[in-house]
Amino acid sequence: MTHDLDDTLVTGAPASEGVNESIMPLWRQRLNVFVQNKLAVASVTFLVLISLACYLMPWLHPTNQTNQAANFNIPWNQSPSWSHPLGTDSSGYDVLGRIFYGGEYSLTLGFFSGIITIVIGTIYGMISGFFAGVTDTIMMRLLDALLSIPYLFLLITLITIFGRTTAFLILIIGLTLWWGNARIIRGDALLIRNLEYSQASTAMGASKLHIIRRHVFPNSISNIVTVATFSVADAILFLSALGFLGLGIQSPQTDWGTMLQLGSVQFQNGYWWEVFPLATVFILVVVSINYIGDALRDAFEVRLLER
Amino acid sequence: MFTYIARRLGQSFVVLILVMLFTFTLPYFQFHGINAPAYTVLGVHATPANVAIWAQQNGMSHPYWMRFWTYATQVLFHFNLGHSYKQNMSVWGIIALYVPRTIWLALSSLIFTIIIAIPLGIFQASRRNTFFDYAATGSAFVLYAVPSFLLCLLVLDLFSFHGPHLPSSPPQGVAPWAIFTNPVGFILPVACLTLLSVAGLSRFMRGTVLEVLVQDYVRTAKAKGCSSVRTLFRHAFRNALGPIITILGLSIPGLLGGALIIESVFNYGGLGIQTVAAATNLDVPVVLGITLLASILTLAGNLIADVALGLVNPRLRIEGTK
Repeated sequence: MTHDLDDTLVTGAPASEGVNESIMPLWRQRLNVFVQNKLAVASVTFLVLISLACYLMPWLHPTNQTNQAANFNIPWNQSPSWSHPLGTDSSGYDVLGRIFYGGEYSLTLGFFSGIITIVIGTIYGMISGFFAGVTDTIMMRLLDALLSIPYLFLLITLITIFGRTTAFLILIIGLTLWWGNARIIRGDALLIRNLEYSQASTAMGASKLHIIRRHVFPNSISNIVTVATFSVADAILFLSALGFLGLGIQSPQTDWGTMLQLGSVQFQNGYWWEVFPLATVFILVVVSINYIGDALRDAFEVRLLER
Repeated sequence: MFTYIARRLGQSFVVLILVMLFTFTLPYFQFHGINAPAYTVLGVHATPANVAIWAQQNGMSHPYWMRFWTYATQVLFHFNLGHSYKQNMSVWGIIALYVPRTIWLALSSLIFTIIIAIPLGIFQASRRNTFFDYAATGSAFVLYAVPSFLLCLLVLDLFSFHGPHLPSSPPQGVAPWAIFTNPVGFILPVACLTLLSVAGLSRFMRGTVLEVLVQDYVRTAKAKGCSSVRTLFRHAFRNALGPIITILGLSIPGLLGGALIIESVFNYGGLGIQTVAAATNLDVPVVLGITLLASILTLAGNLIADVALGLVNPRLRIEGTK
């Protein structure tokens, strides 16, 4: 989709408001569209702040989050106070500190499995879509088989087989969440390889690798980036579902899903501080990531750039 | 149409074999290899000799391909899914007991999802950028971001422990059609599962209808004087049906996954709870059987979606017969 933009940028044809706009590098134009979306900027700001808090607060303001034996003289399920701004949980850990501590695991895991997902999904989708024909049929039937297994069932089976250390959780989610992405990217690749500029490139004797690198990849980047963002959000959500089933990060380490599960049990006793603050943060994080995905899709939409 | 269905059936069969191969291979990666379930059956202190006897009895000592051949022929020709390691039942027995319960749960919430999400999406698309549209999109965004178990637990707290005191779990140990005889117990689980699926489907529906609304034939319909309702339903909705049918066909794995969480929260003995239990107990035959069945359901969903697609779209029908 963006190909006609590249061409017109050189000739400066679509300039609507003076020359400056049209010779701006493509990424600046996209950034402009993105920045115009106030809610998207707010989402990015929120995500940066919460990540900084999750990664820095355990250093700046250390709270005991691993040694349960040290909690014996601390009242459990204590309501918010000056020493514990969000109270303590059912094991005596400081809830505010634990939100940051668990966030470290949830965000790291979501981010890295998202990266793995998009790298594999892109490579698989590109190969399948670009080579088409028999390769495509075989690769897509394989994907069909994998996609027809309910994802959560598979995740549980894999985790009981491979165990649930952080590294394995990242690998298991990352190596299984790319199937849907590969389909989307394969659709793009299939479309682009049949467009005139790819055919022209083939006619001029360009190698397949060249066409993939110079045409197919740059022109499907919008979907790749969007899908990558959604994958991170999905990974965080699936990790939370695993936490609920007791298959998340192992105690005394924790993740947001496990914390929400433990907290929601206590919620029924009226200990709201163990659920609501974390639930708000969790929902805001996932909403922001998804919203950034939507805004990125808009930013890559050529029709919006040309207005 | 017939050749089209036959070809799709053939493809589904290949996919099914691939699923079987994939799930059959997974247990080889267990910590103790293929004999790992022996330790959950015989206990963690089982002697190597006992494990060897167990492996012998369960045919573990045969080579990989021979075991797969036996498994595949037993499944395909004798419909024999094997025997559970942990529960003294055949896998078919477990499936017959629990699958209908999950299917009723999933099916009824699927029906409610369709009834709610499709009109909602169309309405949103026709009233684009109004307050209603923003409110619905916003709630869909939030609903999508809430972990499903958290939503269920909050719903339980609001509507069961406080407030209207609806039953917090469906009736136990009854026939699968209890959903008709005792519908009150199913209100909360079905409502939760519906709520979770509505978020995604209504957003998808909105996007599809929006795409259709900018097409030339919709403009033509407006130009020739069709009322807005007629334009929306006779011209736009019919053309948006295709993607919706496809996405509904693809929604079955997600629905079963969602049912897993719902079953755990509402303590409703179904497929999901059984899968978690079987997986954590390394009850390999049960996991293989349930996964296979879920895949069959998914493939059937896709197949029905494709056939329905041919019915609503005459162009595909002609292509199919070629």
